[in-house]
Amino acid sequence: MVRKISKFLAKNILTIFLGCLLVIPVLVLLCNWISDFGNSAVSGLFKKDNLILIGKSFLLSGTASLLATSLGSVCGFILNKYTFAFKGFYKLVLLIPLLIPDYVYAVAWKDAWQLLFGAGTNINSYTTVIFVHILVFSPIAMLITGSAISQVNRGIEEAGLLMISFRKMLLKILIPIIRPSFTISFLLILIFSLSDFSVPAFFGVRTFTTEIFTQFSAFYNYQAAMGQSVFLLVICMILMFSESRYLSDAPFFAIHTKGSNPKLYNCDNLKFLLHSFLILQLLVAVILPVFILFFQSFSGSEFLLGKAWKLLSPTILQSSVLALSSAFIISVIGLWTSWLKEREKYKLPNTVLMILFIIPSTVLGIAIIGFFNKPVLNFIYASSLMIIIGYIGRFAFISARILGNGIRQIPLSLEEAATVAGIGSLRKYLKITLPLLIPSLFASFVLVFILCFGELGTTIMVYPPGTELMPVKFFTISANAPQALTSSMSLINFGIIISFIGTFYIIGRKVFKRFSYE
Amino acid sequence: MSSIQLNHITHSFNDKKVINDFTFTFDSGQTYCLLGPSGCGKTTILRLIAGLEVPQNGVIEIDGKIVTENDRLLIPPHKRGIGFVFQDLALWPHFSVFENIAFGLRESIREGSRKPDKGTKLYIEERVIQLLSFFGISDHWKKYPHQLSGGQKQMVAIARSLILNPKILLLDEPMANIDAQLKETIIDHLYTLHEQFGFTMIYVTHDHREAMHSNNTIIVLNKGEIITSGTREQIKNTTDVFTQSFIKL
Amino acid sequence: MNKILSIFSLIFLSIIYSGCKNRNNEVIVYCSVDQIFSEPVLKDFEQQTGIKVRPVYDTEETKSTGVLNRLIAEKDNPQCDVFWSGDPLRNNVLRLKGITTPYISNQTELIPRYFRANDNQWIGFSARARVLIFNKKLITMDSLPGSILDLIKPKYRGKFAMANPLFGTTTFHVAVLFTYLGEEQARQLLNNLKTNDIVIATSNGDVKKRVIQGEVAFGIADSDDAFEAKKESRDVDYIFLDQQKNGIGSLIIPNAVSLIKNSPHNENGKKLIDYLLTRETEIKLAKSCAQMPLIKDTEVPSGIPSLDDILPMKVDYDQTSQTLEKTQTWIKEWLEK
Repeated sequence: MVRKISKFLAKNILTIFLGCLLVIPVLVLLCNWISDFGNSAVSGLFKKDNLILIGKSFLLSGTASLLATSLGSVCGFILNKYTFAFKGFYKLVLLIPLLIPDYVYAVAWKDAWQLLFGAGTNINSYTTVIFVHILVFSPIAMLITGSAISQVNRGIEEAGLLMISFRKMLLKILIPIIRPSFTISFLLILIFSLSDFSVPAFFGVRTFTTEIFTQFSAFYNYQAAMGQSVFLLVICMILMFSESRYLSDAPFFAIHTKGSNPKLYNCDNLKFLLHSFLILQLLVAVILPVFILFFQSFSGSEFLLGKAWKLLSPTILQSSVLALSSAFIISVIGLWTSWLKEREKYKLPNTVLMILFIIPSTVLGIAIIGFFNKPVLNFIYASSLMIIIGYIGRFAFISARILGNGIRQIPLSLEEAATVAGIGSLRKYLKITLPLLIPSLFASFVLVFILCFGELGTTIMVYPPGTELMPVKFFTISANAPQALTSSMSLINFGIIISFIGTFYIIGRKVFKRFSYE
Repeated sequence: MSSIQLNHITHSFNDKKVINDFTFTFDSGQTYCLLGPSGCGKTTILRLIAGLEVPQNGVIEIDGKIVTENDRLLIPPHKRGIGFVFQDLALWPHFSVFENIAFGLRESIREGSRKPDKGTKLYIEERVIQLLSFFGISDHWKKYPHQLSGGQKQMVAIARSLILNPKILLLDEPMANIDAQLKETIIDHLYTLHEQFGFTMIYVTHDHREAMHSNNTIIVLNKGEIITSGTREQIKNTTDVFTQSFIKL
Repeated sequence: MNKILSIFSLIFLSIIYSGCKNRNNEVIVYCSVDQIFSEPVLKDFEQQTGIKVRPVYDTEETKSTGVLNRLIAEKDNPQCDVFWSGDPLRNNVLRLKGITTPYISNQTELIPRYFRANDNQWIGFSARARVLIFNKKLITMDSLPGSILDLIKPKYRGKFAMANPLFGTTTFHVAVLFTYLGEEQARQLLNNLKTNDIVIATSNGDVKKRVIQGEVAFGIADSDDAFEAKKESRDVDYIFLDQQKNGIGSLIIPNAVSLIKNSPHNENGKKLIDYLLTRETEIKLAKSCAQMPLIKDTEVPSGIPSLDDILPMKVDYDQTSQTLEKTQTWIKEWLEK
């Protein structure tokens, strides 16, 4: 009986926990919306203009996502398949666009364009939004596809090379095997692009998300805003579920060999081409925007780096501690969720996290405010736990995905050997599985840390009074600050994240060396 | 049938020499067994012959044609007429059993290097089914690798290596995870096919009992160098200390 | 591993503890005035009174949904004591939703009646004005429009910018124009501006930036943006529109402060409001961002305009709020055309 109860709890406690923290607040908000639902709200949703707008938004984000996935995948392929000098440097530096808030990126790029081509130059808004999204989000595809490529055992490619040329092997063997990485990259970037408000708003492009924000913050029309959010949510859910059902979870894509030993190729004739391609991308995606930020920092009538430091320094500790603790908690939740999905075949928590991931950040913020703002729950509402809850909703799905892939790498036989030896479930998990997952856990921790550190949409809704957080302070100060101050703050923000990345890199090398067991 | 000549081959991994001035000729149509302890360079030699690795020094010739010379790959793997059974089998997880075997044949027809005397689809079907029946696994043609047992996967891997009628068949520890009865069956199949098609076969193992079982020419390796070579009887009667101790293990 | 777990447990517990702390001697203020200006004022209040200020910042300029939506969402269990906004429209939204409560400060009488709600649910102080910022390299003083109605002239085609009229003080400005000119004339004006290729920027800050960079010759923004622009670039200056003898005048936008109904620290909230309505605060805001004091005879530094020198637009704030509600949908459609 005790064993049954503990087994039930082990399986369901995570769902109950996520349910209480996030699902119930969202459901309550949804119920309130449905109960106030009017006919006009329904007909409003399906108005021609609304449908055209959602079509245009999907076209814009779909194009950005397709091109970002293509660009990122090519980079991922080059950096994980060929041996050439400075590969490690390129891998690190091409991630930089992920570390700069996309709004800052858009501003820097626009200023770069105008510096090169003149202040009055007209920039086509749609094209520019797509361009900025490609540069900002292609590192996601690079990470995901690069990881997938490096997990393909060399024998699989070599068996093909013995029969067909390299090009055909790529098209018929390697690419089909890593196809889920393309689709999940595409979908993740699509969702990020669709949910982005700041870049389209900056370039004056009307999208479904800017429309949702407008309903919230100009009209305070919750009904319309919620309706549009639900509409967007349903479409994204259909896409994510299809990807999950027909691609990522398809049985033949589970790779059961630990220590994949990927094949690397020499690129003697291609060296110049590869370096040129990567340097061009570096120039456009990293050097030019960062240079512009530097240029703007020093171009004002005053030197404002010191002032920017004074403004931002009180936020560093709080933001760092919050991001670190959130990354830890989210990695644990991601680990637990992915374990239940991969080993126990219990997919509900993963599904819940996926839905939470798709919900617009403002809707999530309002849901958790409405639920937790009760006197009896004040110890949560008045504390930074609200921010952590928001982060869990926003990013736990990404962590679960990374760790799910990590778990699939571990052959079942390793755990079965422990079972046969009489080792209990928890001990088996802690002593056998967890050590093998350390590299994936570390990767999840670092990525989630970066995302939490820069998150604004939900944070600005729920942060407790008196808390100083970097993205909020940056955002509120830059509204009416001189350009030089905004750029200086961007550089400091960027520098701090780079310092963390550098530290993680040093730690990561030791972690990967110690725990890769190859 | 093809002869393979390796002349003064030296190859290193991460600054560690794994093959040291290796020279040997594998005669056309013969069977050879590379025997030695783990890490002695057996698999590396196979990979060099296949063109999956390129030696830092030395020349490899197949049928008198230079295929690799001093760090230069002159003829790519898919043009050497080689069948290779990998140690971990390397079956393509996204292809069924039928597709795993048919793939190479289909591509060669598409490229024009093979012209079937009947319709392509029918030709491919016949060839694949022939091989599957020979190995007794024709009932599993629709299944995917993850749905097969270890022995079945082994046979699919061997069938795949034979579909293009290779002139050279390379097998890297093909019996590593097979039970004794199945081992006998597979070895019999291999030698039957060898007699039928006459390909040069090089077989790598670290199990001396496996090597001593057949009529192969046995080459004993240690630390990337040939220690002894000869028939089963010659190896049994060798005076070389290392070979004696390895066989007695 | 155990060490890492212990560290994180400690952090977790301290986060929970922070939510449970006894917080009697504090005041919570939600502020949508730019943090760079409002924060020093709040810190001074803290120093003088010993009451800990816990602010939540936001800015209406960048269309964040933070503060106002948070106040609405918290209606049933308010966390905030005082709402400090950059214009009275936001306070009016809250008033209409029953979130604010009347408060008559001992300073209230110093503020002209005109700049407070009739029922005292919001009180104005330190005002900005809508101005025209211009780039001296691209347009001379003589060529500038004298009135907002002049912006439809062909010679200004494509040369000027305005912030998105759905957000911030521009909302207020457009709503006032609708109230003042009447619906038909106001719509005509906006349509003509569109025909004249007006550039719609994302915010007043963006207007300022575009003028500084020379992307447009001039733009409509707030006086504090103009003040900052002049600090940033010597090529920029500003004027007040509609200052002719029978002109409609420039729109004056006061800061507005409201006491939240059933707030947790009601008394401290009142003290903060009292402080914000002092001459001292108005002088600080005048110095930091050129905001014009509403309290008569308050000394301002040189270079800062005074209300006495400006012909103000006559505004009925209550009526303007009602007009805004009626016209927002049309403005949105105008924007999307």
